[in-house]
Amino acid sequence: MSRPVVVTGVGLLSPLGNSVEEFQHARLQARPSLRHVDWLELQGKPARLAARLKHEPVSVLGTERNLRPLDRISQMATAAVALALQDAGLTTRASLEEPIGLVLGTTFSGVRTIAEFDRRGLERGPAHVSPFDFANTVINAAAGQAAIWHGLSGLNSTLCAGPAAGLQALGYAADLIRSGQAEVLLAGGADELSAETYAGFEQAGWLNGALGRACAVPFSRQRDGFAPSEGAAFLVLEERTRALARGARILAELAGFGCAYDAGRGDDERRGAAALARAIEAALGDAGLDAQQIDALGCGASGSPRFDALEAQALTLALAARAREVPATAVKSAVGEALGASGVFQIVDLLAALAGGPLAGVTSLLEPDATIELQLVTDARSAKVARALVTANGFDGGCAALVVARAA
Amino acid sequence: MTERVVVTGIGAVTPVGRGPCAFWAALLEGRLGYGPVRSFDTERHPAHVGAEVHDFDGRSAVRRLDPALLGRASLFAIDAAVQAVTDAGLELDEHDRQHSGVVMGTTSGEPREVERYNDDLRAGRGAHAGRALATRYPCHVLAGHVASELEFEGPVSVVPNACAAGNFAIAHAADLLRRGRARVMLAGGADAFSRITYTGFARLGAIAPERCQPFDRGRKGMIPGEGAAVLVLESFSRARRRGARIYAEVVGAGFACDAHHMTAAHPEGAGAARAMELALAQSGLSADAVDYVSAHGTGTPTNDRLETIAVRRVFGARSRQVPISSVKSMIGHTMGAASAIEAAVCALAIHEGVVPGTMNLNERDPDCDLDCIPNAARDLRVRRAMSNAYAFGGNNASLILASCEA
Repeated sequence: MSRPVVVTGVGLLSPLGNSVEEFQHARLQARPSLRHVDWLELQGKPARLAARLKHEPVSVLGTERNLRPLDRISQMATAAVALALQDAGLTTRASLEEPIGLVLGTTFSGVRTIAEFDRRGLERGPAHVSPFDFANTVINAAAGQAAIWHGLSGLNSTLCAGPAAGLQALGYAADLIRSGQAEVLLAGGADELSAETYAGFEQAGWLNGALGRACAVPFSRQRDGFAPSEGAAFLVLEERTRALARGARILAELAGFGCAYDAGRGDDERRGAAALARAIEAALGDAGLDAQQIDALGCGASGSPRFDALEAQALTLALAARAREVPATAVKSAVGEALGASGVFQIVDLLAALAGGPLAGVTSLLEPDATIELQLVTDARSAKVARALVTANGFDGGCAALVVARAA
Repeated sequence: MTERVVVTGIGAVTPVGRGPCAFWAALLEGRLGYGPVRSFDTERHPAHVGAEVHDFDGRSAVRRLDPALLGRASLFAIDAAVQAVTDAGLELDEHDRQHSGVVMGTTSGEPREVERYNDDLRAGRGAHAGRALATRYPCHVLAGHVASELEFEGPVSVVPNACAAGNFAIAHAADLLRRGRARVMLAGGADAFSRITYTGFARLGAIAPERCQPFDRGRKGMIPGEGAAVLVLESFSRARRRGARIYAEVVGAGFACDAHHMTAAHPEGAGAARAMELALAQSGLSADAVDYVSAHGTGTPTNDRLETIAVRRVFGARSRQVPISSVKSMIGHTMGAASAIEAAVCALAIHEGVVPGTMNLNERDPDCDLDCIPNAARDLRVRRAMSNAYAFGGNNASLILASCEA
């Protein structure tokens, strides 16, 4: 790779907290954040396990500046960007004068705002909708609001690819840096849990409880649907030479990326597994690695009966015996399915192990599904991890894989 | 730059015509594609005109998926994609399709699913409402539906970057080809006429009462529209090997964010100018090399004035000579489809040697002292065309297409 891409900062708002330390600590303590969410019962829907942010974004953004133009998803994205810039040491005026770009992966973006805007128009009449709200009804509003707040003048793009959106946003950003089209990019994603997204998942039969067991534990024999969640999370990506020159702390390297699409969207097992396997092979090829050089797996499994199985099959297809030899974890056991934010959550979950520390396990995994041929980690344990593979697939057919390597 | 990326197929669904030939003929004729809104009741709105696609039956284009499960924007997208694949004479085997992908742009995706959900809530059907919000609404479905229908299983994503989304989609798809991540890419944009979008623009007072008149002194606003366009992109070597007709080459793109205001452009057109300059730099061209500019040209008083300032910043003294037109004068503002449709216009202009005019231009605004190609198409040899697109969020995107001399 001519221009290696490194991670120099992390910012996240998650159900486990708003700092990497808090997040990792909770993970190593196997502390789940999933609980029965009552407020959704008001919408006439049954309660399922779900997860919400531990701290609202105002705790990061403060109240000095006017938050009114920003809806909640915009606040979440803006706050996570603030934390990421701070973590990377890019908050000085000089550093913000160069064009920093933003790539935001999402599945629903501001659907709550869009629906509320429409309801207001219906109830009070078109003259009574708010122009502020209208600005937030475009799907890229959160990325735009974060750019305005922080003065990010580089490429500003939102990207949607279902549960693979976060990883695809990272891959898109890494390619822009490698090809010399950008120097510094924030990449990751955001999604908000709302009555609208909850109603959609619940009616589609994708949530835990679909089979009456209320088990959202990835790879569990009892799993019967995912736990809907939310979050905003970004990595600061830079070209390595440049990061070294400014004395930045390098957390990891994004060594390779691949993506593919399952045209059967999960209906055909072989086809679905083959699609994610192609993404994994592309990521390994991109990184110039073979399966033997992968030391850990950060799975996107969420508790979905179908897609967890497809992911495990894909890993076996692409990595052969190596898939059973290396430890595998699944962060959604603790944070739920946060869609756009999930990709960065999966990577942050591996940073401790990549730095020589322990690897967090699959929280609450008491009865592993015997058909899953992976070495699932249940309790946090030490692991020698120089390179980890992160994967994502899911209900829209999108598949992505990323190789994350220890900072050289 | 490793591989040259070329356009070999075009598909379009627009308020003035469906299919690359019909749509192009209508634009050269100067046909206007708007009238009283039919999609919903505008009685309580201050505006009543829209650029809708009438008599559209997208179901005929759908063979593999169940059309009853697809939203209107997805049907537009699939129709345009099938047209583009046919136009390109593409014949892909299973292995090719596994390495071919789709990138679509949009402003709102499938907003009618949200509208239907709200209608259900208001009708007391809330307990069972919302399934489509998970299955038919999420922002990824436009590209996903096209990819599922055509069984393209390579890189698939939606870049919902509002009214600049088409340019983002085309540039991203071209990058995927250059990096060897795909063999063939479909790239474009789609949006369906929406109560939500219309209400919002009406509230901003941005909708023209009768006609869209970009660059005219008396211009009164934009006209919301709908439609889709999809381009087939592949490497030059592949296109030549299979003897494909090449419309144009994608030579560069530039992106810059104003980081200034959600719905208002930068007062000096800074981001817009920077996007054009970055696109020229990536193309290795100077502004003098550009033969035609497809304007964002929405017809709002502010947009056209600021776009002129930005064009002046980039083209200098030549800004009065470089021909520039806005097809939005005819098809309205088709939102996330707009810059995809305008990229198709640039590709056709390069290939056909003629450019569409800016219609409804009675008296040019002195603040817009450009060669706006008033009121009629013009024969013009176009070797290099620039297409500008600006969006909510201060997003600016410029794309450059060039004739493809081997």
